[in-house]
Amino acid sequence: MAEPLLSLDGITVRFGGLTALDRMTFAVAEGAVVSLIGPNGAGKTTAFNVITGYLAPSAGEIGYRGRSIVGLKPHQIAARGLVRTFQKTSVFAARSVFENVLIGLHLSGRGRIWEILLGLPRVAAEERGLERRASEILDFAGLAGHANEIAGALAYGDQRLLEVAIALAAGPSLLLLDEPVSGMNPSETARFMAMVGRIRARGVTILLIEHDMRMVMGVSDRIVVLNYGRIIAEGAPAEVRRDPEVIRAYLGREAAHA
Amino acid sequence: MSRALGLAWLALLVTLPAWMDDPYCLHVLIVTGIFVIAAMSLNLLLGYTGQLSLGHVAFFGIGAYTSALLSLGFDLDVGGGRTLLVGPHPVWLAMLGGVAVAGLFGWVIGRLSFKVRGAYFVIVTISFAEVVRLVALNWIDLTQGPMALNAIPPLSVSIPGLWELTFYKKVPNYYVVLAVAAFSYLIIRRLVRSRAGRAMVALKENEPLAASVGIDVTHYLVVAAVVSAAMAGAAGVLYAHYVRIIDPDVFLFIYTVTMVIMVITGGKGTLAGPVVGGLVFGIVPEVLRELAAPEVQWIVYGALMILIVFFLPRGIVPAVTGLWARITARPPLVERRPAE
Amino acid sequence: MGELLQHVVNALILGGTYALLGIGLTLIFGIMGVVNFTHGELYTFGAYMMVLFAMVLGVNFFVALGLAIVLGVAMGAAVEIALLRPMRGADIDTTMLVMIGAWIIMQNSEQWVWSGVAKSVSSPFPDEPLVIGPVSLSWLRLFVMGAAIALIVGAHLFIHRSRLGKAMRATFQDRDTAALMGVDIDAVHTATFALGSGLAAAAGALLGPVFVVTPTMGNLAALKAFAIVILGGLGNFTGAALGGFILAFVEELGAGYISSGYRDTMGFMLIILVLLFKPTGLFARAERIG
Repeated sequence: MAEPLLSLDGITVRFGGLTALDRMTFAVAEGAVVSLIGPNGAGKTTAFNVITGYLAPSAGEIGYRGRSIVGLKPHQIAARGLVRTFQKTSVFAARSVFENVLIGLHLSGRGRIWEILLGLPRVAAEERGLERRASEILDFAGLAGHANEIAGALAYGDQRLLEVAIALAAGPSLLLLDEPVSGMNPSETARFMAMVGRIRARGVTILLIEHDMRMVMGVSDRIVVLNYGRIIAEGAPAEVRRDPEVIRAYLGREAAHA
Repeated sequence: MSRALGLAWLALLVTLPAWMDDPYCLHVLIVTGIFVIAAMSLNLLLGYTGQLSLGHVAFFGIGAYTSALLSLGFDLDVGGGRTLLVGPHPVWLAMLGGVAVAGLFGWVIGRLSFKVRGAYFVIVTISFAEVVRLVALNWIDLTQGPMALNAIPPLSVSIPGLWELTFYKKVPNYYVVLAVAAFSYLIIRRLVRSRAGRAMVALKENEPLAASVGIDVTHYLVVAAVVSAAMAGAAGVLYAHYVRIIDPDVFLFIYTVTMVIMVITGGKGTLAGPVVGGLVFGIVPEVLRELAAPEVQWIVYGALMILIVFFLPRGIVPAVTGLWARITARPPLVERRPAE
Repeated sequence: MGELLQHVVNALILGGTYALLGIGLTLIFGIMGVVNFTHGELYTFGAYMMVLFAMVLGVNFFVALGLAIVLGVAMGAAVEIALLRPMRGADIDTTMLVMIGAWIIMQNSEQWVWSGVAKSVSSPFPDEPLVIGPVSLSWLRLFVMGAAIALIVGAHLFIHRSRLGKAMRATFQDRDTAALMGVDIDAVHTATFALGSGLAAAAGALLGPVFVVTPTMGNLAALKAFAIVILGGLGNFTGAALGGFILAFVEELGAGYISSGYRDTMGFMLIILVLLFKPTGLFARAERIG
């Protein structure tokens, strides 16, 4: 494999006496779609939190494009190109859908404070550019019709799409999606899977946490299975399905879902 | 609608001295205007960025004292038998100094607010203002303490050595305050409608999400604090050179409370909110002054606050705009009904 | 040396009442998450109740003290039910505004009823102090210290032994789970606010006879209570108790050896320092992650 986009090496997270992540080591290749699965409490969201700087690891290294990102703050990691979504629906609920995406475009703007205060014309020009891009992103996510609605009033499925739209606005090269289709019905899930394909076609690498096995098997190039903070299996979907450790960890849940 | 309304208001305020020449009324408007500037600055921090800063009067007072001291000149015994001598400076320079020093303290509070949040931050800011007040009260060598700094030079603009224009009368002072208020409004409007303003609102509404899209939370907290403090300092500067005598009472917590009342009842997080709140709570006390004992006035004040919060929880401006939207929305809805 | 001892004794005496103030506020802060601006006013209320019962109505000093505390508890409950309960879902700044309104109304009502003239409360204790070596102790102040400590112990027992106290602690630890387990959150809130206010009133009732009673005495008391809450950590009973003594020591020693004009500043400087270096308070045990 060529140099991986993201690599975790020996990442350990301890809370007091509890070990949430135990020497976690894996890599994500550029352009791939990798899924992180495991029973509840296995440590998947903790892994996301460590990767994106919301949590400091007790030990281990994380490299992005070859440079260490451990110790960076979340906004700095986002500026490097890693953008995440959250397990619990997370949007700017009191703002309009359009404004939400506009906020997501923050990193694309360059206007400095004094330029803003002076009302320089290049600031206004930049604003117009950002607004155009916001419209494009809303089209891509299929939310253009809801642009002026208040985000908090959207239907659940649309809110989750908005979350991804906001994350895309930040211009990621690696997108981390935390249970993006949880709570969605089958048709919403299918729509989402199609969008994942389109995101991938734009060259964005995807790391995904999901419980919905249909989606996981459908979109992933590789699957990493976590249990009690440790990686117990890793590989192509077909291999992982047959792995006895994995089957034991899920105790037949997988069979019921597939 | 709001554009036209705003311009109408401005026209009214600009022509006001032509048809109202009661000096007491002008005085009330000038002081109210100064408070409106302070309220707008607090709104940036409290309303848009969501920081519960209850020490805002400290920036007001720091601006006032700094400008007064720089324009009067002072000497300070710095120990070891040496004296720091600062000569009197032209008023416009002293005013800039007041704004700058206030902004500097804003920077300190901004950096602090990242470490300390919520209820703790409220307490820190209150304590900070109290400490500043007690310093002003006790550091008599510098501030004259309770004996007050008086004979502060009036507002003036000058080109050193060449030309000077001094505003002694009420009417010119009124226009200076109006100009600064309009300018402050413009600054806040520009900031709030920009990418920086969106970042501030984002960090108030959902900080983890804001960080995940690259918003540097500390940076924007500091920016909001500095702009807010500098603007409050500007209000303080105007106050010092208008009333021309200031004492440590200018740091009293009750003035922070007044500004908070103006912002929240007017409508925090809206541009017009602090202006409306400022006008209401700047003018109402003057009206009440004729009618009842001071304690009774304050009791009415407090009751009015509670009632507004209970019945118009988002403030006066959002309630009015909401009502207006409902009234004006009905005809268009009728037109849009599909003709089938 | 004698002077130092005197300062220490003074600090111990003052510390007890400071602790009462701080404990009351930290409970309200910790369990209800409310920035209680009326805390200082309950302190003043307690003092004025002493004026009313002991001076105006001629009631026995100790009975007056009891009445002042009971009425403080009742006043706290009334404020919570009338003003805070309707605000339960609102954001913190609107709640703050309501509390500020209540503070303004209470302080100005006191000013209106009693006028700004300072009132004093006479006590049944002998005027001559008890002298032990280099230290002189007034009987009144000894009583105040004893009463404060008794109240602190009483409050502690209430919180740790009574059912309501257990409900309060459960709500502090995990509000949602407590509600699911059947704890009546409304009752807990009212009880917490009432208890906190009662302790503040007690502090005022005890210190009223020591100093003088004015309508604005609550302002500085409130600020110090906030300082103590920071020192001890939000919701931390023992922390607030210790914090009260620490503040009293810092004030006494600072005023005695550095400068008396800046006495009140000591407390605030202390809080700012604590917040810069140990924001969760000097005694915080829990580690928060993330």
